[in-house]
Amino acid sequence: MQAPEKLAASQLFIRCDPGEFDFKTTADLDGTTEIAGQQRALDAIRLGMSIRHDGFNLFALGPSGTGKQSTVLQFLSTLTPEAPCPDDWCYVYNFEKTRTPKALRLPPGKACMLSNDLDHLVDTLFNVMPAAFSSEEYQSREKEIRESFQEKQASAIDKLELDAKQHDVSLIRTPGGFAFAPTLKGKVIESDDYMRLKKEKRDTIEMEIERLRDSLQSIMAQIPKWNRETLEKLNALNRDVSGFTIKPLFAEIRTKYRDLGDVVRHLDAIENDIVENFEQFLDQEPSDDEPPRTHTFRKPMNRSRFFIRYRVNVMIDNSRMNGAPVIIEDKPGCQNLIGDIEHTSQLGTLVTDFTLIKPGALHRANGGYLILDARRLLLEPFAWEALKKALRTRQVSIESLAQLYSLVSTISIEPEPIPLDVKVILLGERRLYYMLSTYDPDFNELFKVAADFEDEMDRNHETHLAYARLIGSMAVREKLCHFDREAVARVIEQGSRLTGDATKLTTNLQSICDLVHEANHRASGSGRDIVTAEDIQAVLDAQLYRASRMQERLREAIMRGTILIDTDSEKIGQINGLSVYSLGDRSFGLPCRITARARLGEGEVIDIEREVDMGGPIHSKGVMILSGFLGARYAADEPLSLSATLVFEQSYSGVEGDSASSAELYALLSAIAAIPIRQWLAVTGSVNQYGEVQAIGGVNEKIEGYFDLCSQRGLTGRHGVLIPASNVSNLMLRNDIVKAVESGLFAIYPVSHIDQGIELLTGIPAGEAGPDGAWPPGTVNRRVVERLKAMAEKQKSYEVDAKEKPKKRR
Amino acid sequence: MPSSIKTGAIRSIAVALDCSPHSRASLDAAAELAARLKAELIGIFVEDINLLHLAGLPFFEEVRLYSTTTEKLDPDQLERLLRLQARQAGEMLQRTSETFRLRHTFRALRGIVPEIIMSAATDADMIVLGRSGRSPSCRKGLGSTAMAAFWEGKKSVMLMRPGVTAADGPLMVLYDGSESSRHALETALAISGPESSLHLIVTNPDPDAEEHCRHEVGALVESSGIAAEYHHLALTDPHQFARYVRMIDSGLLVLGNRLNIPEEILRTLVDEIDYPVLMVRPE
Repeated sequence: MQAPEKLAASQLFIRCDPGEFDFKTTADLDGTTEIAGQQRALDAIRLGMSIRHDGFNLFALGPSGTGKQSTVLQFLSTLTPEAPCPDDWCYVYNFEKTRTPKALRLPPGKACMLSNDLDHLVDTLFNVMPAAFSSEEYQSREKEIRESFQEKQASAIDKLELDAKQHDVSLIRTPGGFAFAPTLKGKVIESDDYMRLKKEKRDTIEMEIERLRDSLQSIMAQIPKWNRETLEKLNALNRDVSGFTIKPLFAEIRTKYRDLGDVVRHLDAIENDIVENFEQFLDQEPSDDEPPRTHTFRKPMNRSRFFIRYRVNVMIDNSRMNGAPVIIEDKPGCQNLIGDIEHTSQLGTLVTDFTLIKPGALHRANGGYLILDARRLLLEPFAWEALKKALRTRQVSIESLAQLYSLVSTISIEPEPIPLDVKVILLGERRLYYMLSTYDPDFNELFKVAADFEDEMDRNHETHLAYARLIGSMAVREKLCHFDREAVARVIEQGSRLTGDATKLTTNLQSICDLVHEANHRASGSGRDIVTAEDIQAVLDAQLYRASRMQERLREAIMRGTILIDTDSEKIGQINGLSVYSLGDRSFGLPCRITARARLGEGEVIDIEREVDMGGPIHSKGVMILSGFLGARYAADEPLSLSATLVFEQSYSGVEGDSASSAELYALLSAIAAIPIRQWLAVTGSVNQYGEVQAIGGVNEKIEGYFDLCSQRGLTGRHGVLIPASNVSNLMLRNDIVKAVESGLFAIYPVSHIDQGIELLTGIPAGEAGPDGAWPPGTVNRRVVERLKAMAEKQKSYEVDAKEKPKKRR
Repeated sequence: MPSSIKTGAIRSIAVALDCSPHSRASLDAAAELAARLKAELIGIFVEDINLLHLAGLPFFEEVRLYSTTTEKLDPDQLERLLRLQARQAGEMLQRTSETFRLRHTFRALRGIVPEIIMSAATDADMIVLGRSGRSPSCRKGLGSTAMAAFWEGKKSVMLMRPGVTAADGPLMVLYDGSESSRHALETALAISGPESSLHLIVTNPDPDAEEHCRHEVGALVESSGIAAEYHHLALTDPHQFARYVRMIDSGLLVLGNRLNIPEEILRTLVDEIDYPVLMVRPE
C-alpha cells in the first residue's frame, strides 16, 4: 500500500475570501439580522406558537450559546405585535366570602382606572359623608327621633308621676332603680308617722303603691322596645342619608363600567357596604394622647385596615402593552411563577389581605408567552410542579407554600384562580429534554413541541453573509465599531474553527458575540472606528495566551526533560501519541509517549492503564480492537504466543478515548518486529479490526500541540503528524502551521490504513500479502510474522519440554 | 386675660355630684373654670333624706331599672349604697382636682337635695350642676334641683350637660345695656379660654342698640383679645331664638340675673336650648 502524500498548505485551513462580500464594512449592511442555520428549530417554533391547543408548549433544546432565547424572541417579535392585547386582572374584596378575594377581569388599562376611581371615591366620601351627617336636616331628623323616644318615655313616666301625685305618692330615683313613696306636704312620710296611720289608710296607700309599681314595671318593660324602635329608625335614617349621599357618586362611576357586569356587581357590593358602615367616614381616628370622645355613632374600627376593602389590587396592568406580552422570568421560583400572598406583622401576628397578593410571571404572561430556563426551573423547589399544575388546569391558583406545608399557622386567604392562556417556552440542554421526556409522564403531555437547535451549520455564502449581518446588527444595536470585510472573514474562519470542521460554522453565537465585543474593544481602544482582521487575530492570540498557562507549564516540563518526549531519534516500541486536555471550555493538545514491550506469552495484550483502572472503557475497547487486528492478521493459523504491554508513559490522570489506538498498534508492531519508529513524527487516529484508520476529535488542537513543541525545539523539516484521512476536512489550523507546511518545515500525512502509517513511521514498506498469504521479504509485516512465528515455535518447544520432564523422572 | 377684667369675685366653685353623666360634665366644667380663675373647688354630695325615709317604710320595694324586677331594700342596705355613691363622687372630685391641680373640698350632706345644695352653695361664689340629675323621667327641660338653683338661687349658677364644653368653646352673651348684662359679659370674658370666641347678642330692639353696645363694651371686648361677633336680635320669640342658638352653635349661654327681658321668655329659652347656661349673680 502506497504511503500517502503530505497535505498541501491549502488543505490545512479553508479561508473565507473577503472578496465574496459586496460590502466594504458592516456599516454598508442594513443592520438587521436573521436567524441562520436553525430552520428545523424555527419550523418547530412556528408550529408551537401557532397551535393554541392545550399542551402545545415548546421546549427549545440545544447547547447553551446557540441563540435559543434570541431566536425565540426574534420570532415572537414578529408575532406578538399583531396579537390582541390581553385583559387586565385585579383582586378585590369579596364581601360575601371575605377569605376568598375576587378576581376581576377588565379590558386593558381599566384596572388601574377602577383602582384610581375607587380611591378617589373613598377620599371624596370623607368630605361628603360628614357634610351630610352634620347637615341641619339630618341633625333635626335625628334629634326628632331621639326626642320622640325621650318624650314617649318622659310622657309615660310624667303621667305616672301625676297619677301618683294625685294619690299623695311620689316617684323617687333610688341607687338601683325607682321606688314609690307616700308623701305628706311634698316630703316622704317617715316610717314612724306611717305606722301611726290607720290600718285602712295604710292598706289604701300600699294598694295604690302596688298599682303604681305595676304600671311602672309595664312602662319600663316597654322602654327596651322603644329603644330598639328608635335605633331602627335611626339606622333607617342613617341608611337613607348615606345611601342618598353616595348614590350620585356611584352612579357616575357605574356609568364608566356599565359594560362590565362583574365590576358593576362589585360596585353594588361596595355601595351596600358603605351604607352599612357609613360611620367609618365620619370621624378621624383619635390620636394616642387625645382622650376618647363621646360619639353619637359606633366607634370606627382601625381605619387603615377597614378601608382596604374598598381598594383594588391591580395584578396586571396592560395599559401600555402593545400586543401579547413576552415575559422572561430569570428566577423561576414557585412564588415568582404563580405569585405569592405576603403577610404583614400586626401586634406580633401575621395578617394578610387581598392587597398583599402579588402576581407571578404566569399572571404577567397571561395571554402571551413565558420564557423560562429549564435548568433553573428544575432547581427551584416546587416550581416545576406548580408550572405543570397551572398548565394542566389552565388557571393560576396562588397558594402560600408556607401554609401548604404547615410551616406557619396564621389566617390566610384563598384568592379565586385566574384563567390562564399562555404559551410556555422552556430553554434547556438536550440532556434535560430527554430526561424529562423519559422520566416525567406529564412532560410530553404539556410540552408537545421540541425545537432542536443545531450546534453548527453548513459553511456557504449564505451563512457567511448571516455572520456578517449578525456582526452588523450588533454594531448598530450596541453602538460598536463596524467590521471591515476582512475582519468579518476572519470571524467566519474562527466560527469554522470552533466547530472543528472546515465545512461548518458554529451556531454558538455567544462565542462569536464575545469575539466581536473584544475586537471592538481593541479597535476603539486604539482610536479606530473600524475593526480589522488584525484586531480579530490579536484577540484570538490573546484568548489563546490567557488560556495557555497549563499548556505552557506542561510543554516546559517536556523541554526540561521532566516529561520524556523524543522528537528527534528513532526508537523501537515507542511512539508519540497525541492527546487533548480539556479545561473547562478550553482544550489543547500535547504529545505523549506510548511504549510497547513484547515477550513470549499466551496471546494477551495488556493495557496497563486498564489494569490500574486509569483507562476508560473506550480506551480499553481500542486496545482490544488492536489485539483483534493483530491476531487475525499475523496469527490466523497458529497460536499468538505473545505477551505485550502497552502504556502511556508519565500519565497520572487517566486516559480515555480510542484516538491513540493506531499509535498503540504502531508501537506494538515496532516492538514485535524490532523496527525503530521515527520519533519526529506524531500519530493520532483510531483503528478498527481491519487496520483501517478512523476519524478522531480535536485534530486541530492535537496538531497544534505537537507543532508548538517541535517549533520550540526547532523545526528540522522532518517533523510531522499522521492524522486519519477522514479528518482532513476538519482541519482549520493556525496560520503559523500553515506557513511552516508551506515552507516544508512541517508535514501532515493523511493516513487511511495502518500499513500506510507504519511505512511512514519506519521508512520500511509494510508489504502486501501475496495470493498465498505470505508477506514479501524485508517488509514490516514479514518481520512481524517471522517474529511471531519464532515465538510460537519457542512456545511450542517449551510445552514439549514440559510434557517430557515427568517421564524422565519416572 | 386682660387686667381690666376682675375675676377675684369667683374664688370658690361648688359642684353638685351624684355620679350621673350630667354631674360628670358639671365637674369637668367646674374644674376647668376653677383652674382658669384659680378658685377652690367644692364638691357636694347629698344623701337624699326622702330615700332614707322611704327605705324605712314596710312596703318599700325598688323597681330595678334594667330588669323591671322588684327588690326589697332595708335602710342599712340603702345607706351602704349611698355611702358607696358618696365615696365614688369624692374620688371623682379628687381625681379631677389632681388633674387640674386645684384646691378642693368634698362635702357629703344629708337632706332634701335642692335645699341642701342651695344652702351648701352659699359658701361658694358659683355653683355648677347638671341640667337634669337622677330624676326618674328623661325629660328634656331642667331637673328640679337645677330649676331651683338657677331661678331661685343667690349665687351664680352654671347648668351643664354631657358632650359639650363650657368655657373653652364659643360663648354667647345676652346684652341689653343693663348693668346685669355688663356683669354677664365681664364674667364671660373672665372665664373664656384661649380657643373661645364670643357671640354678643344685642337684645334691645332700638336700631342704634348695636352701635351703643359697641360704644359701651367695645373697648372691654377688644382688650380681652377674644374674637367677637355682634348680633342684633330682639328676644321676643324664645323658640325662634333657640333655633338661632342651635344654628350658630353658640356654646355656653351667659345671662345676667336682672336683664330687661321677661322671665317667662328666658325660662322658655333655657328650657329649650340644649347648651350649658350660666346665670351671673354679682355679689
